[in-house]
Amino acid sequence: MTQTTTELQSQADQIQSLKRRKQQRFRLGVNLSYAVLFLLLIYAFSGIKFNLFGLQFSTISLDTAFIAENWYFIFNGVWLTILLSVLSIALATVLSLLGGLGRLSKYPPAYALATFYISLIRGTPLLLQIIFFFLALPQLGIRLTGLWAGVLALGLNYGAYMTEIMRAGIQAVDIGQREAALAIGMNQGQIMRRVVLPQALRLVIPPIGNQFIAMLKDTSLISVTGFVWELLWRSQKVGRANFRSLEALLIAAVFYWIITILFSIVQANIEERLARGVRTT
Amino acid sequence: MTAIVEVNGLNKYFDSLHVLKDISFEVAPAEVICVIGPSGSGKSTLLRCINFLEQPDFGSIAVNGVKVEAGGSGREYKQKIHDLRLQTGMVFQSFNLFPHMTALGNVIEGPVTVKGMPIQEATEIGAHFLEKVGLGHKQDSYPSRLSGGQQQRVAIARALAMQPKVMLFDEPTSALDPELIGEVLGVMQQLVEEGMTMLTVTHEMGFTRRFAHRILFMNEGRIIENGPPDQLFDNPEDERTKIFLGAISRLGE
Ligand SMILES: Nc1ncnc2c1ncn2[C@@H]1O[C@H](COP(=O)(O)OP(=O)(O)OP(=O)(O)O)[C@@H](O)[C@H]1O
Ligand SMILES: [Mg+2]
Repeated sequence: MTQTTTELQSQADQIQSLKRRKQQRFRLGVNLSYAVLFLLLIYAFSGIKFNLFGLQFSTISLDTAFIAENWYFIFNGVWLTILLSVLSIALATVLSLLGGLGRLSKYPPAYALATFYISLIRGTPLLLQIIFFFLALPQLGIRLTGLWAGVLALGLNYGAYMTEIMRAGIQAVDIGQREAALAIGMNQGQIMRRVVLPQALRLVIPPIGNQFIAMLKDTSLISVTGFVWELLWRSQKVGRANFRSLEALLIAAVFYWIITILFSIVQANIEERLARGVRTT
Repeated sequence: MTAIVEVNGLNKYFDSLHVLKDISFEVAPAEVICVIGPSGSGKSTLLRCINFLEQPDFGSIAVNGVKVEAGGSGREYKQKIHDLRLQTGMVFQSFNLFPHMTALGNVIEGPVTVKGMPIQEATEIGAHFLEKVGLGHKQDSYPSRLSGGQQQRVAIARALAMQPKVMLFDEPTSALDPELIGEVLGVMQQLVEEGMTMLTVTHEMGFTRRFAHRILFMNEGRIIENGPPDQLFDNPEDERTKIFLGAISRLGE
């Protein structure tokens, strides 16, 4: 009897370790492939010439002197890109909270206003909205700097898309929470403020993190105003001036990519920490 | 005797489903009522109508002199419902503690937010009630760090901190592992002994037999028995009560 149990046990162990080894082999394969892809990428931009079937080929050759001279100027746009994202996501979070509450409201004007806002913003292009705030508002006597026009447009735009996140977050809070709060005599405002929103906001942190990462890249649209020295604007400026747009845009692309990866790691960490702290009831 | 709870002609529909049918009964101060009956018979709905977590469609509820008729609206009506809720404390099957607040935070939430009590005073009261349910040492624990039995005791303390006149319990031990039921029943027993008026939906027949002054047996939205436990357990008037009690006692074995 004990014999069979130990046998079964060792069988289970075997299956487990087989599974683990398979997983390890997969991870190794993936990492090797990354390395190969990376080398290929470097090779593609190395400018190396080679001969194939008697034909002369060359990989893409970059002006390294230009890169050495200008990468830092472009890099300095990173801070503005991050600042624009932070300001815009802050505005978007507030607007989406109001929008989400409006969509859940039983008060007709609030519901209508939220729905109208979402429909209008989703129904028009983001690029148009940015240009509108910058170019069209001055005609009405409202003059915004490129930065504030951009932040306002991005915030309004993302706010509209994020209302669904907020609405879902608020609705995901267990109904029992409201009932317990009602039972001790709290009113609707108190329940929202003290019970529902603190829990809903925890739930929406990961999706808002995703929006922030998307926002990092959409701030590049603000470059069209011509007055906001963020990453893309800087790379276009030096690229055009030196007829080196290829190099300049690649530099900007690399920086966007790097900050996206960095923030994705931060985001994954936050998500994991929140998941670990998940409380039942 | 003047009743502390008066339920009169209560009717409740969920869409076309008639869940409570002409329910009327009274509860005297310090009386302990256990509500029993098969699943879906309307026990929870009855309890939830008493503090207007569900809006009844007809009838009236009065608790400690605060009387609310079904079907009103407007600011004054809402205020009345609020007053009614302050007379009652409720304990739920699933505890429903606020997970983002500590045990003490849960208990003082009502006094501070609803009554506007200064934090200091509320903290004293909160500590007192946590002590009372045997959790004085768990003040700073979050619900996720507490066992089910401890969570339910905090939930009882949270309700008591509002100093209600009547306590409503909806299957307070049904979600608990068997070994944790005793600690919650212990707290409830203590309340019985202190003379708290209680309405309890429960399947704990031991508690019911020992502490209930009166049992309401519900079936299909009606109260079909209303009497002291001895009478109900030993010679029920209705055939369905017999069948139900038979099933319950077989389950208990
Ligand atoms: N919010 C609701 N919407 C629609 N129907 C409901 C709702 N709540 C309860 N019901 C229905 O009303 C009836 C009575 O439900 P109630 O929860 O009061 O029964 P109960 O006696 O407490 O049952 P249990 O012992 O299972 O808790 C059931 O048929 C139930 O399906
Ligand atoms: Mg029930």
